[in-house]
Amino acid sequence: MAKDGEKNEWKEFIWNPRTREFLGRTASSWGLILLFYLIFYVFLAGLFALTMYVMLQTLDDHKPTWQDRLSTPGMVIRPKADETYEIVYDIQNTETWDMYAQALDRFLAPYNNSVQSQKNDECVPDKYFVQEDSGDVKNNPKRSCQFNRTILEECSGINDRYYGYQEGKPCIIIKMNRVIGMLPGKNGQAPYVTCGAKREDSDKIGELMYFPPNGTFNLMYYPYYGKKAQVNYSQPLVAVKFLNITVNEDVNIECKINANNIPIGSERDKFAGRVSFKLRINTMN
Amino acid sequence: MQLCKLLNTLNIPEYNLYLCLFIFQTEHKMSVEEVCRKYQTDIVQGLTNAKAAEYLIRDGPNALTPPPTTPEWVKFCRQLFGGFSILLWIGAILCFLAYAIQAATEDDPAGDNLYLGIVLTAVVIITGCFSYFQEAKSSKIMESFKNMVPQQALVIREGEKVQINAEEVVAGDLIEVKGGDRIPADIRVVSAHGCKVDNSSLTGESEPQNRSPDCTHDNPLETRNIAFFSTNCVEGTARGIVICTGDRTVMGRIATLTSGLETGKTPIAKEIEHFIHIITGVAVFLGVTFFILAIILGYTWLEAVIFLIGIIVANVPEGLLATVTVCLTLTAKRMAKKNCLVKNLEAVETLGSTSTICSDKTGTLTQNRMTVAHMWFDNQIHEADTTEDQSGASFDKSSVTWLSLSRIAALCNRAQFKAGQDSIAILKRDVAGDASESALLKCIELSCGSVRLMRDKNKKVAEIPFNSTNKYQLSVHETEDPNDNRYLLVMKGAPERILDRCTTILLQGKEQPMDEEMKEAFQNAYMELGGLGERVLGFCHLLLPEDQYPKGFAFDTDDVNFQTDNLCFVGLMSMIDPPRAAVPDAVGKCRSAGIKVIMVTGDHPITAKAIAKGVGIISEGNETVEDIAARLNIPVSQVNPRDAKACVIHGTDLKDLSQDQMDDILRNHTEIVFARTSPQQKLIIVEGCQRQPPNLHTTSQQTIVAVTGDGVNDSPALKKADIGVAMGISGSDVSKQAADMILLDDNFASIVTGVEEGRLIFDNLKKSIAYTLTSNIPEITPFLLFIIVNIPLPLGTITILCIDLGTDMVPAISLAYEAAESDIMKRQPRNPFRDKLVNERLISIAYGQIGMIQALGGFFAYFVIMAENGFLPSRLVGIRLNWDDRGVNDLEDSYGQQWTYEQRKIVEFTCHTAFFVSIVVVQWADVIICKTRRNSVFQQGMKNKILIFGLFEETALAAFLSYCPGMDVALRMYPLKPTWWFCAFPYSFLIFVYDEVRKLLLRRNPGGFGTEKQTITEAQKEKNISLG
Repeated sequence: MAKDGEKNEWKEFIWNPRTREFLGRTASSWGLILLFYLIFYVFLAGLFALTMYVMLQTLDDHKPTWQDRLSTPGMVIRPKADETYEIVYDIQNTETWDMYAQALDRFLAPYNNSVQSQKNDECVPDKYFVQEDSGDVKNNPKRSCQFNRTILEECSGINDRYYGYQEGKPCIIIKMNRVIGMLPGKNGQAPYVTCGAKREDSDKIGELMYFPPNGTFNLMYYPYYGKKAQVNYSQPLVAVKFLNITVNEDVNIECKINANNIPIGSERDKFAGRVSFKLRINTMN
Repeated sequence: MQLCKLLNTLNIPEYNLYLCLFIFQTEHKMSVEEVCRKYQTDIVQGLTNAKAAEYLIRDGPNALTPPPTTPEWVKFCRQLFGGFSILLWIGAILCFLAYAIQAATEDDPAGDNLYLGIVLTAVVIITGCFSYFQEAKSSKIMESFKNMVPQQALVIREGEKVQINAEEVVAGDLIEVKGGDRIPADIRVVSAHGCKVDNSSLTGESEPQNRSPDCTHDNPLETRNIAFFSTNCVEGTARGIVICTGDRTVMGRIATLTSGLETGKTPIAKEIEHFIHIITGVAVFLGVTFFILAIILGYTWLEAVIFLIGIIVANVPEGLLATVTVCLTLTAKRMAKKNCLVKNLEAVETLGSTSTICSDKTGTLTQNRMTVAHMWFDNQIHEADTTEDQSGASFDKSSVTWLSLSRIAALCNRAQFKAGQDSIAILKRDVAGDASESALLKCIELSCGSVRLMRDKNKKVAEIPFNSTNKYQLSVHETEDPNDNRYLLVMKGAPERILDRCTTILLQGKEQPMDEEMKEAFQNAYMELGGLGERVLGFCHLLLPEDQYPKGFAFDTDDVNFQTDNLCFVGLMSMIDPPRAAVPDAVGKCRSAGIKVIMVTGDHPITAKAIAKGVGIISEGNETVEDIAARLNIPVSQVNPRDAKACVIHGTDLKDLSQDQMDDILRNHTEIVFARTSPQQKLIIVEGCQRQPPNLHTTSQQTIVAVTGDGVNDSPALKKADIGVAMGISGSDVSKQAADMILLDDNFASIVTGVEEGRLIFDNLKKSIAYTLTSNIPEITPFLLFIIVNIPLPLGTITILCIDLGTDMVPAISLAYEAAESDIMKRQPRNPFRDKLVNERLISIAYGQIGMIQALGGFFAYFVIMAENGFLPSRLVGIRLNWDDRGVNDLEDSYGQQWTYEQRKIVEFTCHTAFFVSIVVVQWADVIICKTRRNSVFQQGMKNKILIFGLFEETALAAFLSYCPGMDVALRMYPLKPTWWFCAFPYSFLIFVYDEVRKLLLRRNPGGFGTEKQTITEAQKEKNISLG
């Protein structure tokens, strides 16, 4: 009895034929509510759009308002193996290193001398390439300096298509994240990259070779003016070639930027001002 | 007892149980010898020690089994796994599960899920412990009532009188009781000397009753040869054989019966359950929907589980139940200060939704002490001051007649003050003597000074005490004047008897013959005072002529040898138990609050009606059927019962009423007095009241009924009622145990304060919940957008917990301190079926409107920070996969800059902090708009200091969480640039303005339908919120 009543009550709640109410309201009542919410939400959306518009107006087109989180630029290596920073391959097994070579090919393609000379200027080296705006007149678009692939010499992949992977002397390319307006190095001293083994691996790393020499990022590539103003900016690169690294063992390597005006990043961030990766070359011999 | 249970399951009305309680007792009908045989005891020697020990082992100690208590750990677990806790546990378990999967599949699993799981577990356990301790605290107060001194009993065993612990008394024991003792068990009286017992706690009869060895009634409750456990022996001595001990005593059976009666859930418990169901439903629905959606969108299982956790955490208002508990506790404390001790926290609100109060008369509505109310002398009625604090008007005391009257009242009076009370106010002193004489004693002491002195001056020579055949009391005294050797005879008694003995009357100090005119005047005065429900006494005196009764005359009171007629009538004095001062006001408040007050009393209908009129339970101008009949001079049967709003129902009539007739009476009379009712009938009345629809507009059956009671026999009614109110001073322990609330001062007015507080807390809880629920939307929406449009997460689970358990707590609690918006005692009681704590209208406002504005405020802050750091909104959409990829350390922003994982995560967490701060900012406006439901804040004012403190506290807490060094590691909250605090300000302002406009429209269109379309839905939505 009681259950039947309950059931009917529910049925009536969903659709009450007597009062023509659906879920306790008539169609017109539902309509008014929906209309109200429609108007209300349209109004809110408009208001939100307005505040967003005002906020966007306050932003500079070429430089973000805050850069304090980027005081220590991040560093990244190439080639990049999926998610982890591990480069592991087998000399005898072509397939295992071929993808690295291909990745580097793709990565370096925009640095081909032909492309560079076409898009970018030759600049005066060892000097910041400052292109100030004169007052309100924007000096746009800004020009960029050439970074020719040949600068990387043995690691350019021009002479050695496989970047030394085949011989167990792999090249790793290091780049420093772009930060608008950053002027690394002080007193004309260019920032440079040094790599070393971590912890107990120091005797396994062997000899290294940097391209360009000393692993410097030339000052002429700074400052960066942002992708809007400086469309063809070529990020400078440093290549490290491992000449006689111990094979068949994990070697943990950390490369870091050396510049007297770049603060050492926080302990937590493993990629600010430094980059770590693992290199393991397997061979049968 | 088995049979009783059977009857109970057969759904036979509870009052029948009373009958069955006593069916099995037959000892009262047996002869003493039979009883002795039955218990193998001896009428002189008592039990042997061996036998007693044997019985003790067989029957157990003579004590009531305490009501079954839930073990502490069960209570604790209930707090730990009830309500939202289950959802949070699921969240925590999912967290651990997610971490376990991560740990199994990844080398270096992120600890986030583990930490979150730990935090969630901690939250559940801490809030669980909090609620548990709150509950334990209130139950501790109750335990303090149980601290009773172990009782002693005088038993005769093996012919020797021994004083033993009452617990060791066994059936068959021969025991002795004397005046002042508590009866240690149910006993069959075998001999008695002037023994009187006070059965009021059991039967409600306030007059002490004689006890003698003879069986006078078939009903064991009525017969004189049984004295009951836990009643008191008032005077005399008695010897009896114990027939029942412990739970088998009548009292024990009632106690067991009471504990067996099911008590329904309190309204607020139902409301909270309803509300938990809604929220849980929403959480589960959203969680499952997005879980499935996430799987469809191609997220991994692990990610989907993490989303599920986030949605659960965002949906559950973690702090709300604690807030509700705190609010109720605060109100309970406030009520305790006003003499309402609430045993069960939830009962705080029950009182607020009460629509009928069944109140005792004696002690609750009245002062429980006879007081002289009127006097008639010099052919004029004088009014005495009956107020508790003697603030009332006084009468002319200069008349010589008054001096004579007061002298009679003082001399012809056996009552006297107990010693050592000189410092106590006269009205509060204890008196040895019966109620009427005490009243006279106090009255005279108040108006004429020391009665003792007067009695010393007028030495008593002879006295005839009151007896029921004479109906008068007489004493002979020496006069004050030492030269006057006459004796003064003073007499008081039933007025008509006194008048019969008088031939003269004292008027203005002069004796005049009693003529017909004076007799008529006397009759009128007597009728008038009697009609007021007062107990009237007549007074007369005579100076005995010296020639007949010279000094030293031997007055013989047994064989009266002196003149007892041809006396001089002096006046009448009438007494009543006057209503408490605050009661008429309180009853008036109840009436305007739509609460029906029903008086239930054992008194005579006339007295009951008089008091009911006096306190306003029967309001002025309302007539009973009898009144109408008297006014129109027609027989009662010709009066249309519908014409009478008030009625006085006699207990004997009540017995014969069918359920339908009862319903008819309760429905069609607004002012009802039940007189001459036995406490057993109280249960019928309560049930009848509960059956009635709460008000005229609904058909749903059930009224919230509050009942007061003090006797043991009231306890089933107390338990049956939605809220049982026991009396702190006069109440028995069993009634206190059965009640939900205890009036520490036994005063009806305290109930009304309770009602007021109860209504206020319902209103304020509603505000608290509206406030807390609103922030749920800005907590859920970030997750939804995170999943749907793939933006970096705008608000994290930790920050959600910071809001729910941190910043929202104090403002939500502060709303409990909010003053009432309008006169809450001027509206109808809440309809428990329609006016829910949380209804779709509240959800619509909190979730659909204010919550949405809040969410926009939070998102605005989020987009501002992202944009100012280089990630414009256009870049953010769809960035999530790369953003949350630890391997991507050169993610490009809108300006071409590149970010490492950690760098952008700091920005993300800064966004969480800003979103959190924005919610705090919009919650400022929310708490201000939640203060009122109809009134503008400008009308209501900002007088709630706790709320102002709450505003500062939440802001300070937010600033602390943002700026305190180390928070970046502990909670991943980062310092905000000062400007980011202002992002949500426009939205906060919008909330305030929007709601002020909404309330303005609401006040303009109280009916709900305005001209604008927007107003219609608006007002419709609001109509019920404001009512609820």
